[in-house]
Amino acid sequence: MTITGTAPQLSDRVLAELTDALGGEYVLTSKTARYNRARVPAPFPVHRWRERVPDLVVLPGSAEQVAEVVRIANAHRIPIVPRDGGTGLTDGAVPERRGIVVDVKRLDDIKEIDLDNRTCTVGTGINMLKLNEVLGAHGLIYPDDPASYPCSLVGGRIGTSGWSLVGSRFGHTRDLVLSFELVLPTGKLIRVGDGGGRKVSKSSSGYQLKHLFMGHQGTLGIATEATLKLYPKPEAEFSPFWAFPDFDSAYRCVGELARAGVATFAGAVLFDEWKVDYLRRDDEAYIPQPADVRALVCAVAYGNDDEVRAGGRRLLRIARDAGARYLGDEISHGDWAARHDRYATPLHGRTPAGQVAPMSWHCEDAAINYTNLPAVRREWHSIVARLRDKHPIFDDWGMFFYTSADTGVDYLTEIDVGIWEQELDDAAWAAWVDAKRDIAAVALNHGGSISACHGSCREGEVDLVPLELGGGYDVMLQVKRALDPNNIMNPGKYGLQRAYEEAP
Amino acid sequence: MSAYRFEEQHTPPPARQVTDVAVERFEHIFEVDPKLMTVHVAQQLFPNWDTLRIAASRGDHLEWMHRHWAAEAVSGQKLLDELDAGDGDR
Repeated sequence: MTITGTAPQLSDRVLAELTDALGGEYVLTSKTARYNRARVPAPFPVHRWRERVPDLVVLPGSAEQVAEVVRIANAHRIPIVPRDGGTGLTDGAVPERRGIVVDVKRLDDIKEIDLDNRTCTVGTGINMLKLNEVLGAHGLIYPDDPASYPCSLVGGRIGTSGWSLVGSRFGHTRDLVLSFELVLPTGKLIRVGDGGGRKVSKSSSGYQLKHLFMGHQGTLGIATEATLKLYPKPEAEFSPFWAFPDFDSAYRCVGELARAGVATFAGAVLFDEWKVDYLRRDDEAYIPQPADVRALVCAVAYGNDDEVRAGGRRLLRIARDAGARYLGDEISHGDWAARHDRYATPLHGRTPAGQVAPMSWHCEDAAINYTNLPAVRREWHSIVARLRDKHPIFDDWGMFFYTSADTGVDYLTEIDVGIWEQELDDAAWAAWVDAKRDIAAVALNHGGSISACHGSCREGEVDLVPLELGGGYDVMLQVKRALDPNNIMNPGKYGLQRAYEEAP
Repeated sequence: MSAYRFEEQHTPPPARQVTDVAVERFEHIFEVDPKLMTVHVAQQLFPNWDTLRIAASRGDHLEWMHRHWAAEAVSGQKLLDELDAGDGDR
């Protein structure tokens, strides 16, 4: 069986069935509704935007309605793409083969707050910031904290297996979501967790299906309800930023901070010289810094006041002994608060002549072990320098390295690249895709993973996913075909169309 | 409260060159040097009150974000002063 091509023209019959299932006002066919759901903030061939416009959008109001929409799509072999906040950085919510976009934003209710077991159960269309406004009244917090915190949704965090800024303290989305309900590609509604039990954090019963249905980028189903693990809202936050005269001393310092075993440690970040140069262009905290500020380190701690202060003293002592210069409370507080909302940064780059040009922020990430960070940094900057030499519509906005865990084993390693998208053409896009593939190859060559955070299903890096996963990729293909026999669920992602190709 | 004067609001204070790429017209509010925005982008006309409002609003947002995440943002400077005084080494 081979399934190729774009979606069939949606027939009046399909529209009638969807309207019967949802009501006419929740089946959207206008250009506005469809164009607004044609892309995400990931690198995008803007000159080809029309290729990714969905045929229609539906806004179901319950899990049963989601299931009914999926059953209709499956019966008619129509591609279906789940969309939550649309803030992902790897095209998960982009309808590459058109079809039906299922926008889950109406599933935004808080169904239960269990104060005794410290859990809450929510619709997956709810945003974490809005949820925490309610939980805060109970002295609780759901500490899943992406850079898109004010605008991403719980369901998208499940579909992408999100990475959290404070994950070194509280864990990432996979740790914070105890169980969830999802609609399989055939329309069947199931619940998965760590074994059974809606509110169980550790089970040894059966396969660990929760992890299978996280990070699939919408290729295995649509999450509709989630039960989340809650923490006491922290009494105290500590977020010192330090300056260094060179990368190497900052690198040594961040390693020592991450390995210190401070219980309230929520993360540490290292910013390299390119990033500092970028910040000097238009970030109020760094424009006035003296020229010998060439690298930055930040650490973050959350918890009870006495514990944060005790841990904070230890972190400060480590940094002081490593030659760090504290940048002061105003910068430390302001810069940290701004990191919960990085989708609101100024988006302009520089041409080689130094002129300001409108550019979009794009970022390539990988999971890299501490000892390999310097080498990966050198190679990634070289790749982007070669790209900019050929196509000056690209601009190197620097790199940062962010602890993923509380031991300092690996870092979300990211290079930010400005792209003057209006100037993209086929040649520049092809060069960008080649650069992305090269960046992913460097990560693998250094024993890392293509992505710690964003996912790896865009053009370029997706070519190397089979290499990264080895025999595990073959299992992915088998799982995909078993669960989605008609390849309707977000087709075209992760190269999974191979699951439907006949063996030669 | 002072009266609104259109001319006054559309006459920004003189720019002080802060770095080779940035200028400062209001205290702690930095702007990209206008000479770098002459080819590919056009600058918007902002009345002074709007520039100040945007900066103040950003400050309000960051303060709100601190309160959203924790009851208190601990001062690193105070902890550092304790360390330097020898009180924090225990």
